[in-house]
Amino acid sequence: MNYAISVRHLTKDFRIGIRGLKLRAVDDLSLEIPRGQVYGLLGPNGCGKSTTLKVVLGLVSATAGEISILGEPSATSAARRRTGFLPEAPYFHKFLTGRELVRYCAQLSGVAASELDAAVEDALGLAAMNEAAGRPIGTYSKGMLQRIGFAQAVVHDPELIILDEPTAGVDPVGSASIGRMIHAMRDKGKTVVLCSHLLGQVEQVCDRVAIMDRGKLVLEGAVEDVLSRRDRHVMTIEAMTPTARAAAEAALEAHGAKITSVTHPRRSLEDLFRELVTGSRDA
Amino acid sequence: MKDSLRRTLWISRVTFLEAVRQRFFAFLLVLSAAMVLSSVSLRVFDFGHGELKFIADFGFGGMFFFGSVLAVVMTAQLFFSEIDNKTALTLLAKPLSRPEFLLGKFFGAWAVLGVFVLVLAGLQGVVLWAREQELVAAAEQAGRIPTTFSIVGLCQLVLLQWLRLGVVIAIVLAISSLARTFLFTVVVGSLAVVAGQLQWIAQDAFLRPTDSPVYTAFLWVSTRLIPNLQQFNLADALVLGSAVVEEGALISVGFSGLAYLVAYLTLGSLIFRRREI
Amino acid sequence: MRRFAPWLLVGVLLLGAGTLAESSWLRIRPSIPEIGRKELEPTLGQGVLLGVLGGLRTVVADIAWIRSYVFWERRDRPGCEALMRTACALDPHSRYFWENTGLRIGLDMAHWEIRRRGGYAKVPAETQERLFRQYGRQGLDVLEEGMAYARNRTSLLLAAGFLAEGKLKDLRLAADYYRQAADAPDAPWYAARICADFDWGAGRKVEAYGWYRNYWETRMRSKQDGFPEDLIRLRTMETELRLGVLQRIPRQGWER
Repeated sequence: MNYAISVRHLTKDFRIGIRGLKLRAVDDLSLEIPRGQVYGLLGPNGCGKSTTLKVVLGLVSATAGEISILGEPSATSAARRRTGFLPEAPYFHKFLTGRELVRYCAQLSGVAASELDAAVEDALGLAAMNEAAGRPIGTYSKGMLQRIGFAQAVVHDPELIILDEPTAGVDPVGSASIGRMIHAMRDKGKTVVLCSHLLGQVEQVCDRVAIMDRGKLVLEGAVEDVLSRRDRHVMTIEAMTPTARAAAEAALEAHGAKITSVTHPRRSLEDLFRELVTGSRDA
Repeated sequence: MKDSLRRTLWISRVTFLEAVRQRFFAFLLVLSAAMVLSSVSLRVFDFGHGELKFIADFGFGGMFFFGSVLAVVMTAQLFFSEIDNKTALTLLAKPLSRPEFLLGKFFGAWAVLGVFVLVLAGLQGVVLWAREQELVAAAEQAGRIPTTFSIVGLCQLVLLQWLRLGVVIAIVLAISSLARTFLFTVVVGSLAVVAGQLQWIAQDAFLRPTDSPVYTAFLWVSTRLIPNLQQFNLADALVLGSAVVEEGALISVGFSGLAYLVAYLTLGSLIFRRREI
Repeated sequence: MRRFAPWLLVGVLLLGAGTLAESSWLRIRPSIPEIGRKELEPTLGQGVLLGVLGGLRTVVADIAWIRSYVFWERRDRPGCEALMRTACALDPHSRYFWENTGLRIGLDMAHWEIRRRGGYAKVPAETQERLFRQYGRQGLDVLEEGMAYARNRTSLLLAAGFLAEGKLKDLRLAADYYRQAADAPDAPWYAARICADFDWGAGRKVEAYGWYRNYWETRMRSKQDGFPEDLIRLRTMETELRLGVLQRIPRQGWER
């Protein structure tokens, strides 16, 4: 199977201080990210996720190991041409307008001159930034910065998109908007790799996740598989009376099953917030 | 190759736009222009140097000094702003090589310094021409030989100063590629400029015979590694005609400047390729 | 080896650039006389560095000159001389600095030395004469050095002639200086006369008359009023040399 990203025995050591002590940020990591999915890379601060992404993008060199992107060695221009990247807390030149920034990034990414205008407008449309694209980036809010950052990452129609903390500091409406953009990319057959601390959002958006801790891979798999407790079931029952409850308990006990708890379902605060707040405050 | 040049050009364009918007650039340009203009009223301090020489020296001195300050500080700032703000992450994740990034920074900064030198030289030329007209009229009345300045010499000086500042920018970028902080780069870059201006001492010492092979070797290395920036300071000779400078010598200075420029840019690119962003 | 190839290339580029720079420096060096002068060494730490580095040399030279006045007031010979020479070194094309440095050394410093040694009554006359000659010679050396750099030599020649006659008591040398000054395009009207008088006083009467007469006939007779005072002096010389009528300058229309 052709993977979007293939990491084999990646190790990265940093030298710190005058004595050159080694700090092992990534320790023998092996990972394969399939194409056409949204992949979440999770872990606490300092676990090595950002370092792993930087090595994948060729911003930092590996101490040991091999990495390939879409079948090509990762540090090559050819690989980077098919990759889009949004860094954590993106910062762009404030004097450029949104459109100028996306155009600039499109030019650097090798978009042909004849296709430039269309590509820029498509990317701005995808990020819902058409209206604000004529304003200097210095006037943008946090959410708009993330969206214009997303636009510059996808303007050259890459096959692989890497997003580092795309919703950090963004309100739930903005986060949901970014989530929809991520799914739109997946539906087009792109692979999206997502690094985030916001577990609730990762759970909603990602198809597969990998969890890292202290430079090592702790867990990897489809979200559904890793989160499900196959030994337990949840049933949602409407209009349950005490009599009905007792009858149900008896029936289940007859088959060797047991009800361990009965509670009322809850919706999340995020869902409630989104229901109550209409539209984006950013436009 | 064409794509590589285009990418370098786009980086340099944005670098130029960023640099000209900096208040520091505007401040130094205004300060230097004020020096050029004030030289006319300060000529009471002229101890018979020749009034045009005083005006020229004051103005070109500002261009030299503030140009050097701008080259060091602005170049370091343009580089480290990309690193500290992480815009370098976004750019280098694209199919943009590190040498292209560094060259783009160089050409953007060099273009800004070109504007700086051109504006000041233009202003200086106007001031010199205006004063020259008055002095020529006065000299003709008194039956004396008037002092004049050379516009061709002024143009040659502009190119030389621009090239000198280009060498300084290339050195600062090489230092930036290795350094971790903006302050370190500015301090070391400034020291490099001072060393370049004083390198002629080592050059003169190297050309004199000496018995110590170690001393000779040390001088040989230092005269190669450190560019002799003093050879670009030909304002008096070119503009005021205080000495004859052969065309071949000027071309030789130009080529040596370009050679140092290429050498330090290559060094910077090599170091930057290994830098972890 | 492939890993080191780019670094070797950088090394080659730097060596090549340095070699080119060395040859271009040899050709450019004479055009920048302000640097590499020993006179700057004593004062390099006194803000002169900026001028040495390049640019603003004229301003730094002016400041050094103004500061030298302070040392002149105090009769501090080393300090005064160092700063004056610094000004000359930073702006060697300015005849003002050379001229005044030479004259200050030649005219003033011998007196300072005599006062330092106890005054005119205490220092023997021979010692005083020796000091006048010594400092006069030093002043002359400065003026000679200035003549190699300054664009306008005339005033330096006049100052040198003044020192040669007044301090060295060498009329022949003084005459030579005045002769060179008289030959300059911007020569003052008195230079030729003083040259002739000094040559006359040095015993070269025939040569003095011959040169002076030629000078008057080629450069003075047709100018302004014909310089009658110089002709009067020439007539005096003719009388003293007992020249015949045919050997003398023909009578001019305005002569009585």
